[in-house]
Order: sequence, then structure tokens, then C-alpha cells
Amino acid sequence: MKVLMLGWEFPPFFAGGAGIVCYELTREMVKMDDVDLTYVMPFGPDEIRNQHLRILLADRFKGKKINFKKIPSLLSAYMTQESYMEERQRLISAGKTGLGADNTLSLYGQNLIEEVYNFAGRVRTIVEDESFDVVHAHDWTTFPAAIQASEYMRKPLIVHMHITEFDKSGGNGADPHIYSIEKEGMEKADKIITISRRVKDGLIKNYGINPNKIEIVYHAKVDVGPDMNFDFPKFKDKNKVILYAGRMTLQKGPDYFVEAARKVCNFYDNVIFIMAGSGDQLQKMIKRTIELGISDKFLFHGFYTRDDANKFFSMADIYVMPSVSEPFGLVAFEAMSKGTPTIISKQSGASEILNNVFKVDFWDSDMMANQIVSLLKHNALSNTMKREGYSEVNKLTWDKPARRCVDIYKELTEKK
Amino acid sequence: MVSMCFYFQVHQPYRIRRYSVFDIGRNKDYFGDRSGTKLDNRWIIDKVAGKCYLPTNAVLLELLNKHPDFKISFSFSGVFLEQLEEFAPEVLKSFQDLVATGRVEILSETYYHSLSFLFDKNEFREQVRLHDKFVKQLFGVTPTVFRNTELIYNNKLANEIEAMGYKGIISEGADHLLGWRSPNFLYSPVGAKKIKVLLKNYKLSDDVAFRFSNRGWKDWPLTASKYVQWLNSINGCGEVVNLFMDYETFGEHQWEDTGIFEFLRYLPVEFLKHPDNNFKTPSEVVDTYETRGEYDCHNFISWADLERDLSAWTGNEIQDAAMNKIYALGEKVKLTGNGKLLHRWRKLQTSDHFYYMCTKWFSDGDVHKYFNPYESPYEAFIAYMNVLQDLEMEIDDILEERGFAVKGKVIRTRVNL
Repeated sequence: MKVLMLGWEFPPFFAGGAGIVCYELTREMVKMDDVDLTYVMPFGPDEIRNQHLRILLADRFKGKKINFKKIPSLLSAYMTQESYMEERQRLISAGKTGLGADNTLSLYGQNLIEEVYNFAGRVRTIVEDESFDVVHAHDWTTFPAAIQASEYMRKPLIVHMHITEFDKSGGNGADPHIYSIEKEGMEKADKIITISRRVKDGLIKNYGINPNKIEIVYHAKVDVGPDMNFDFPKFKDKNKVILYAGRMTLQKGPDYFVEAARKVCNFYDNVIFIMAGSGDQLQKMIKRTIELGISDKFLFHGFYTRDDANKFFSMADIYVMPSVSEPFGLVAFEAMSKGTPTIISKQSGASEILNNVFKVDFWDSDMMANQIVSLLKHNALSNTMKREGYSEVNKLTWDKPARRCVDIYKELTEKK
Repeated sequence: MVSMCFYFQVHQPYRIRRYSVFDIGRNKDYFGDRSGTKLDNRWIIDKVAGKCYLPTNAVLLELLNKHPDFKISFSFSGVFLEQLEEFAPEVLKSFQDLVATGRVEILSETYYHSLSFLFDKNEFREQVRLHDKFVKQLFGVTPTVFRNTELIYNNKLANEIEAMGYKGIISEGADHLLGWRSPNFLYSPVGAKKIKVLLKNYKLSDDVAFRFSNRGWKDWPLTASKYVQWLNSINGCGEVVNLFMDYETFGEHQWEDTGIFEFLRYLPVEFLKHPDNNFKTPSEVVDTYETRGEYDCHNFISWADLERDLSAWTGNEIQDAAMNKIYALGEKVKLTGNGKLLHRWRKLQTSDHFYYMCTKWFSDGDVHKYFNPYESPYEAFIAYMNVLQDLEMEIDDILEERGFAVKGKVIRTRVNL
């Protein structure tokens, strides 16, 4: 089975969910005898990335049946028109006017959409030289490329939906270009894989996609690395730590976290709330805690690295993911794999499969506070959730979703 | 000669509503969910009455009228009967009509369907006494055979029950205790003088209770005549087949369209075709048959899950924390002399509350999830502990008013299993 996968640069560079998922899936697929994988990734101009990737590939994929094709491009997962223009402007200002290490390749696309089609043209040259049995594409930016490749070879197309333009914009001001590329990709696909029922329902409702074409393949465990050797900060001695970790945007529900915290403070003095992550809501959250008179119980930490996350999860007594809308929410797995009792909103894909967590409607700050207070009050409860959550998430291994993807390839090639 | 001995378990707990930390000290309504969902006790009684209690009672009454030899028995929990009185008096009446035929026996159990035997023997005896009194009051009969909550059983329980004056006791026919022996005889509990133990034939019971509608089962579909052939084949190597199951098997677990009611309707007809067969109630079985050896059960067993042990209710940290807390309140609540408080405390002892806190998600987990009205064991624990704290505050206030210095003092009970 020759598979052409159009994916994302691996972590830690673009540590968003899609990159992690691509990395974990390919790592399992190359172990399978019946798979011959070619992985195409958009590849930016920075030398350091190049260096990193060479090390990563040499270490992790040595001797395995995988072929990497790096395509010079500014594309990355979750890109928006604005962030593309910013990145482009940044590079042009830095004197880099073209792609590739030697700066000699064609200029970047004038805008994101153009860049997407540039990418598609470059992928086309790959399939003109070599044929594959299936094409598997992650996220809309690779869809035009995937459609061209699949049509040129007359081979099945699978698109993997991690998030949609609708989810990103909350339904308001969805970019019509992006929307139509997503829709075309899904309509032309022979099978659509979604990462949750939530995403699936959205495809049916907002894109009018035939439900029979969609299959849910849930993610497996990710973590933030082995335990690190570090001293807990002094405040941890006398306080319980409740953690928020994620971008500080409305979609992630930081305001509901602050509201629940206010109610918890009526019951408990010895608590510290850590809010890690940056975003357009950060200033507002700081201001709000001052208004409520609980700013002395809050610690804000802007952008954080993977190592920071490792430390946060290790010292946290409770992790809360209050997202208003979360296609999946891999960060819940990261918390649980550090043995941190976890509360997640019911508006997340992760809540569809997890048992040993608290689930709460993002808007129900009373219930959220109730769950936090109960965890603080009852050691038996936090111990049990720690243990059961840890063991539950460790049972979710990537061989299962990877095998499911390969089975889908087989069903499609046998049918065609 | 083969006797068929039916006993149906009929129980519904008082499920605790979603009771949060904000309710503590402000809300005395522990059991009053009216959401029309799985936590709404009235809604559940209504739903199960429509699907199971009323239609099954009608079939049984018809059978009792038609076949003078047909006999059955029930074990009702007190908390179930109390809910019938409050929510569904017509259902209670239909059970009373069955008992009035004189061929329907009622077994003894703890009023609160509790695990009190494990924690507090005096409390246990008191709850059994309350149960028998309530049964007498509603049905005019006095039970002489005992079954413990979820068929939890060991030698000591049998000895205790004998001392309390019962002539029979019911237990699971566990393979590891029976060895090569058959559950289709009566046995003597170790240490017993006269009391006899009736053992559940779990294979034949589960064929009806669990496998009846399973299309993947090699014996599907199960007809009354096929089933009676299996029963007849016991003739000569057994005297009594004890078929014990949840009453909700009929119409609720096995839906009407599976043919479960037709099966029940034809069972006596087919069974009584053989002249050596008859129906007996548990007390008649005890009066008729001799024991055929000892049943030695040192460690507790039950009828739950694959393990047939106590792990559905005890053993994980949250279950043990909750269990310790509820029994630790016993001394204080009795000191108040307040009957309403005592009753509320006892309603919180019902085993289902602890079952909902079970974290055995895998293997048996599906069953637990199916029967759990809460979203997770942790939700169940929160509601339970918050209610207990509210109850304790109320108890402490009363005692303090009366001049006792008990506030905050917790009397620990040790759990010895």
C-alpha cells in the first residue's frame, strides 16, 4: 500500500494538535509491513528548522519505510489570512524574498490562498514522477494539492478534519475562500476522517456533508515528556494549585475559569490559580481578577513552552479546560498523563471518550466550582481520579487510530 | 421430582439529586430530582411500572388464577415499597393482589437495601426488623426466609440470621464453593444448627435474565419448551432449581418485543406437563427437602459482576471514604433521637449509592455505566459527600442545642472485610 500523506511539520516547531497527530500517526504507520508511506510537508525557510528535522528524522525514522518530501512553503497548520500575511511580511523585511535555503525559488504567494495553490503545483510534480494508492490530506491548506494529486492518479482521497473554518471563527465571519476549499475537499474526498463527533456534526450541519462518508477516528495519548527535576515554587507548600493552560482566546473560555475561581475563593483561602498562555484575552483576564478582588490568588504566565507545560502539570492539583468549543482538546491527555485530576468542558471532543474526568458545561461555573471544591476537599476523590485518569489515558495508544486509517485505505482501494 | 423456586428481586433506591457544595446548609431536599431523567425517582418508578411491574404482575395473576400449583416469591426492599406508597399506589395494590392469592411468598431483607451487615450488626438487625414490620403492615404476612442485599453472604451472616429466627437463607451458588456439587440441593451453612441455604442456579437464572434476547447466543431463541427440557434433565440429580433474578428482567431489561412475557406465560404450562414437577416457595423448599452437605463460605460473596465479590460497592478509595463516613455518623444520628433524621441517614445507606461510585470501567464497566444515573463515579461521590456534610451539620446543630459537645468529632468505624 503506497500512501501519499500531506501533513504538517512535526513538533516541537508547530506544536499545534495537527502536527502532533501527523507525527504520531506516521510513527505507527511505518511500523506496519503493509504500508509504504511518503510524507509531504510544507517547509519554511529557516535554517534551524532544517537542522532540527534532519536530527529528528535520523533519530526516529532510521531504517523505516518512510520517504520525506519537503516542499518549500510558508504554510502551516491553523494558518489564517492574517497570520500568513504577517509571516510573509516578516520574512520580506528580513531580506528573504524567496523560498528555499538559497533563497532562489519562486516568491511567496501574494496571499494565503495563492500560496496554497503554489503548494498544490509543487505536490503535482511529485505524483507526475511516482504513483501512489491513496492520498491522505490533513487540514484545508493541503486540500487543493490533495485533490489535484488524487485526480491526476485517479486514486482515492481521504481528508482528515482537525478543525474547520467554522470552528475557528465561531460561525461569525468565516472566510468564504477557506470555507469553499474545505467544502470542495470534503465533497471530492472518498472518505472524511474527523477527530470527534463534534467535528463530524459540524461538517454535516455547516457544510452539508453526507454523514455516511464521515468516520470518527479519535486521537490517542500525547504527553509533555518525562518528569523533570525541579523544585516546586514556595507558594506550593501552603496552597493547592489550579491550572488553566491554553491560548487566552474567547474560544478557550478563560473568563469562565475566572468566574469559577471567584466561587471557589468563597470556600478556600489556600488556593492559587495559574493561567498559562497568551492571547487577546490576557489583559482582560488580569483586569477582571483585580475587579473581583482575587488578583492575589492568580498567577499569569504568557506564552509557555513544552517544558513549562511539563512543570505546570506536575505541580497542579487540578487542571481545568473550560473551552467554549474544542474540536478535540489534546491538552487534557497531557494533564492526565502527568496524573493531574482533570475537568473538561462538555463542548470538547475529548469529553466524548474520556471517563475518568469531570465534565461540565463551559457556562456552568457553579458546577465547575463544585467540582474544584470537591477535589480540594476529598483526597480520596483526587487520588482516585489521578490514578484512574493516568491509567485510562495510557491505554489509548496510537497503533489503534493508525491501524484504523490503514484499514480505511484498504477499504477504499478494494472498492475502487 | 424437581421443584422450581422463583424469587424476584424488586428494588429501587432513593437516588440523590445533583447536590452541590452550594446546597450544603441550604437545601434539605436530597432525593427530589424532578428532571424526568435517570435521577428522578418518581419518573423511574412510573417508567418501570409501565414497562415491567404492571404488565408482569398482570401475567403472574393470570397464571396464579389458571394454575392452582403455580407459586412464586418476591423480595421487596423497604425503600421500594415506600416509593410505591408515595408515587404509585396502584402498583402497590397489584402486588398486594398477588400476595392475597396465598401462593406468593415475601422474603426478608434489610429495609434500606443496605450493606449494614458489613459495618454495624445492631443497625443490620434493626433494619431487618423494620422491613418485616413494614411487610406485615402492607401485606399481612411475616417472612421466614432471608436474603441479603445483592445476595451478599458468608457463614457468619447465616449464623446471625439463624439466631434471628429464620429457617432459610438465600445465596449465590458460587462455583468455587460448590466445586463438583450441584446448586440444585439444599445445604447447611457452616456453623448452622437448623437453618438451610438455598443456592441460586446462576446458569439457568442468567439464561432468562441476561441471555434471553441475545441473538448471538447459541440457544437463541429461548422458548418455554426448550427451557423446560433443560429443567427436566435435572430430574434425578437435583431436587430444586432456584431461579433468582431482578424483577425488571421482565419488560425492562428484556423488552416486551423479545417475547419475554410469552415465555413467562407458557413456562408453567410446559413445566407442569411432567407429573413429577412442581412449584415451591423458598419456605416450602426448606420444609420439604433435607440438606445434602455443608456450604462453607468464609469470605463474602455476592451475585454481582464476574467476580461475585464485593468489589462493585467497596474497595476503591472513594467508595471506602463514603462508606466510612456514613457509618461513622451512626452514633451521633441515634443520639439526636430524631426519627426523620435517622430515616434520611438510613436512606443514604442503600447499596446503589456505592455502586454508582464504582470505577471498574473495563470488563464489567459497561454494566456499571448502564446502571449509573450519574455521568461518572466522581459525580456520584460529590453529590453523596455533600449531602452527608449537610446531614452532619444538621445533626451537630441539634446535638449542640441539647448540650452535647460533639461538633466535628468523627467516630471512626473500621471496615473488616
